[in-house]
Amino acid sequence: MVILNPFKMDSLFDDLKRMNKRQFLYQVLSFGMIVSSALMIWKGLMVVTGSESPIVVVLSGSMEPAFHRGDLLFLTNFEQDPIRVGEIVVFKVEGRDIPIVHRVLKLHERDNGTVKFLTKGDNNSVDDRGLYAPGQLWLTKKDIVGRARGLLPYVGMVTIYMNEYPKVKYMLLAGLAGYVLIHRE
Amino acid sequence: MSPKEKEDKNLVEERTKVNKWDGSAVKNALDDAVRDVFIKRLNYQENFALVDGRLWICSIAVGIAMLALLWDYLHPFPQSKPVLLLCVSAYFVMMGVLTVYTAYFEKGIFAVAVQKDDAGLDPDVVWEASSYMKRFDDLYALTVTCYKSNKTQIKSATFEKSVANFFDNDGNLLLELLEPEVVKLHSNITSGKKEK
Repeated sequence: MVILNPFKMDSLFDDLKRMNKRQFLYQVLSFGMIVSSALMIWKGLMVVTGSESPIVVVLSGSMEPAFHRGDLLFLTNFEQDPIRVGEIVVFKVEGRDIPIVHRVLKLHERDNGTVKFLTKGDNNSVDDRGLYAPGQLWLTKKDIVGRARGLLPYVGMVTIYMNEYPKVKYMLLAGLAGYVLIHRE
Repeated sequence: MSPKEKEDKNLVEERTKVNKWDGSAVKNALDDAVRDVFIKRLNYQENFALVDGRLWICSIAVGIAMLALLWDYLHPFPQSKPVLLLCVSAYFVMMGVLTVYTAYFEKGIFAVAVQKDDAGLDPDVVWEASSYMKRFDDLYALTVTCYKSNKTQIKSATFEKSVANFFDNDGNLLLELLEPEVVKLHSNITSGKKEK
């Protein structure tokens, strides 16, 4: 314990050792509630915006100069809002889990409401047909995750950094979890 | 060192040591020691109803969140929308309930002890200990309230002292300085009863 003294680590664990069952249960529940609150806020956003991923991070530079790598995008996906040419949408190609954010180039609409889209990144020289699934020439409504409504520049760089260095992410989460579980109130 | 060694032998528990600059650790250590006075020294029975209530509210809230997570995993998003809406609303309602509970029902009470009547004739006497310490302040206010279990004859006594009175320079909690204060509050209340 002499080694840990400079960082006052031993007093951290003293608090934990002195807790009785109920107090420890409360610590675990407090941690559970922090996680649950974050989860409920995310699900709440999903319900309010109608999109399965209401906040996304731009990963590539294919939409420059409008969006840069690391920008945070806010999406909505309302049924009543028809998507028009020129609007920026986030879509998922079948078979790939990373969504793509590009602009709608062409649109075909039928009387019964079914729509077909063609998209292209502002900074790309060709349309997205090369990115779609083999044989797919158009996107449909179900491929769309949402329309871009708002932007926060640079904030997403944290997410990009943590995904490139997962160890940092796990250490940070483990540290936070440990702190909440051990520190009383 | 001889008298101190004898004193150490008399102490059943180890000395509690906290970081004296950490306000919440200091308050928690004092609260725990006061609880020990009521439970171990005065031998009353601890009543966990208040704490259990809070634990239940938290468990229900976490349960709702887990249910939402599971449902959304089993039925991907658009289909799970109504259930998610229900769970999110229920979760925030539970948060509201928890806030009301902590503010109005718990009110800083950290220990409830019951003094069972030996004769079995009178209703049991319930003792509540609650404390308050402002952030970054050193004044610890302890209030002991006593009432019969049918909520009659409510009496209370309180003291407000700096935490420096109970801790030494290293952050050790000196029980022998805290216990007499707590027992004094207890006696004030019990002797007050006899006067009536």
